[in-house]
Amino acid sequence: MLQSFDKLLGKAEMALAWFACALIPCMFIMITVDVSIRSFGMRPPLFTSSVVEYALLYLAMCSAPWLVRERGHVVIEALVAILPDAVRRPLAKLVYLVCGLASFLFAYLCWGIFWAYVVGGELDVRGIDMPYWLQFLPLPLCFLLVGLEFMMYLAGVRSYYSYDLGEVKDGV
Amino acid sequence: MVWYEAGGLLLGCICAGMALGIPVAFTFMLTNIVGIFMFSGGWPVLPQIADNATALITSFTLSPVPMFILMGSLFFHTGLAIKVFDALDKLLGKIPGRLCFLTVIGGSLFSTLTGSTMANTAMLGSLLVPEMTRRGYSKKMSMGPILGTGGLAMIIPPSSLGVLLASIAQVDVGRLLIAGVLPGFLLATIYAGMISFQLWRHPESAPSYEVEETSLQEKLYQIGVNILPMGLVVFMVIGFIVLGWATPSESASFGVIGVVVLAMARRALTWVAFKTSLIGTIRVAGMVFFILMNSTVFSQLLSMSGASRGLVNWATGFEVPAIVILAAMFLVLIMLGMFMDQVSMMLITVPIFYPLAGQLGYDLIWFSLIVLMSLEMSATTPPFGLLLYIMMGMVKGTTLIEVALAAMPFLFCDLILVIILVIFPGVALYLPNLMGGG
Repeated sequence: MLQSFDKLLGKAEMALAWFACALIPCMFIMITVDVSIRSFGMRPPLFTSSVVEYALLYLAMCSAPWLVRERGHVVIEALVAILPDAVRRPLAKLVYLVCGLASFLFAYLCWGIFWAYVVGGELDVRGIDMPYWLQFLPLPLCFLLVGLEFMMYLAGVRSYYSYDLGEVKDGV
Repeated sequence: MVWYEAGGLLLGCICAGMALGIPVAFTFMLTNIVGIFMFSGGWPVLPQIADNATALITSFTLSPVPMFILMGSLFFHTGLAIKVFDALDKLLGKIPGRLCFLTVIGGSLFSTLTGSTMANTAMLGSLLVPEMTRRGYSKKMSMGPILGTGGLAMIIPPSSLGVLLASIAQVDVGRLLIAGVLPGFLLATIYAGMISFQLWRHPESAPSYEVEETSLQEKLYQIGVNILPMGLVVFMVIGFIVLGWATPSESASFGVIGVVVLAMARRALTWVAFKTSLIGTIRVAGMVFFILMNSTVFSQLLSMSGASRGLVNWATGFEVPAIVILAAMFLVLIMLGMFMDQVSMMLITVPIFYPLAGQLGYDLIWFSLIVLMSLEMSATTPPFGLLLYIMMGMVKGTTLIEVALAAMPFLFCDLILVIILVIFPGVALYLPNLMGGG
């Protein structure tokens, strides 16, 4: 049951990560086209900077759950690695729990903000006016997935730390 | 709460979180929650963290970060990097310690194409260490120049960390990138001088060997086919900024297009290489941006609690010359670098150091370069300098002490450059001043 859920979670996270990947070519193509149009003395589209700015946020959020799964969020292991097993294993569980709960809290808070902006219909004034809710659209889902991913670590499906995985320890 | 208690609590939470093995981004997230309860209105203000977290990240000035990372990734995964290196190898001919000099020249060139210290060190290490070992170079001579030159990517534009620092500290990205050009190449020259000195003292540490003669025609071919086209990519990034044709954010995209076109022209752009480069890019950019999102509120809390202002007033209240405070900031960065990654160091120190540097009357572009140099040095400082561990991964059976000793002469070179920058700020500021507008 847990394994199937974990598999499903992995697929959702991978899909979001690929979406984040796809944003990068979109960004550099849009910027290049924008500058080229400007260089030819024509008026570039107004939406480029706004869309790129939002794409940066989507890139950060959509890759976050996959990065937790891939142990891609930087962690300093040098000090915990020297602790005895009896201390560092419960400590790791505590870290997973606290990070998971904080992520769920943020998912909840972001959902509240997102919904308030949907109802209020406020606009984010940039190159072009963007609906504010668009800025918060990925946040509840991505924080929820980050939280669930930490719960998988807590459940013992895998470990975030290289000392548990028999890898070479490093400073960062 | 007085400023030092507030600052101690916030910075203490960050240090404790990191020491306990909490991922850096989540350490900031948790500290923000604690800070909101301590210095702001608690629960009702909590959504403000989420609201503010998106503010810094949705900034156009950060767009070069994924672009520079992608540029470097494509450069490596398409095999263009190897081709440039082979060309340089053929051009260098037979000189004592040729592989060390190849490291410095290649490393400087790669720095202008990748913008990533880690990628640069890993690339140079994987390419050159086996060859140096085969040729009988001592460990010190094989690892030292790579560790030194690998760090050049932090100051020679395009520097991903430079863009990040400029965005966090709110200084002009273009001027900071351009400010790194002269000091970067000066540092490469100092490295070359250090290698010559080491070879003079211990000629046996890099034995000469026979090199196949390369004809003039072959050399011209290598320059025309492998080196000059790279110059075009460099021009698309740095030249576009200097000439004012594009902003740094925009020129980074042209750099990516340049590498893509070049790889296509050399029939080196495969779907696998492109996919691998994209995944590599979000792995680094996603991690950095997620930390940035969570650290924004931390900077605001430092300011809101009065810790930033209190520290600035305290530090400037001493009857000591500004240079002493600069030296203290430099030492703090080096010390932090022994335990922390560069992004975390920046996020913790920028809200405190930049107001202080401004108050002391330092040019913030020049100061940013000193910060970048400190970050570069800290990455090679034992016991936890990241580059030392990358090198240990490359050279199996090497101890941390051996790697650290190999890095020492090059750390000394870095220090010489810092002293030069302090005595002659014009080395850093000459090119940005030519750009005007500042």
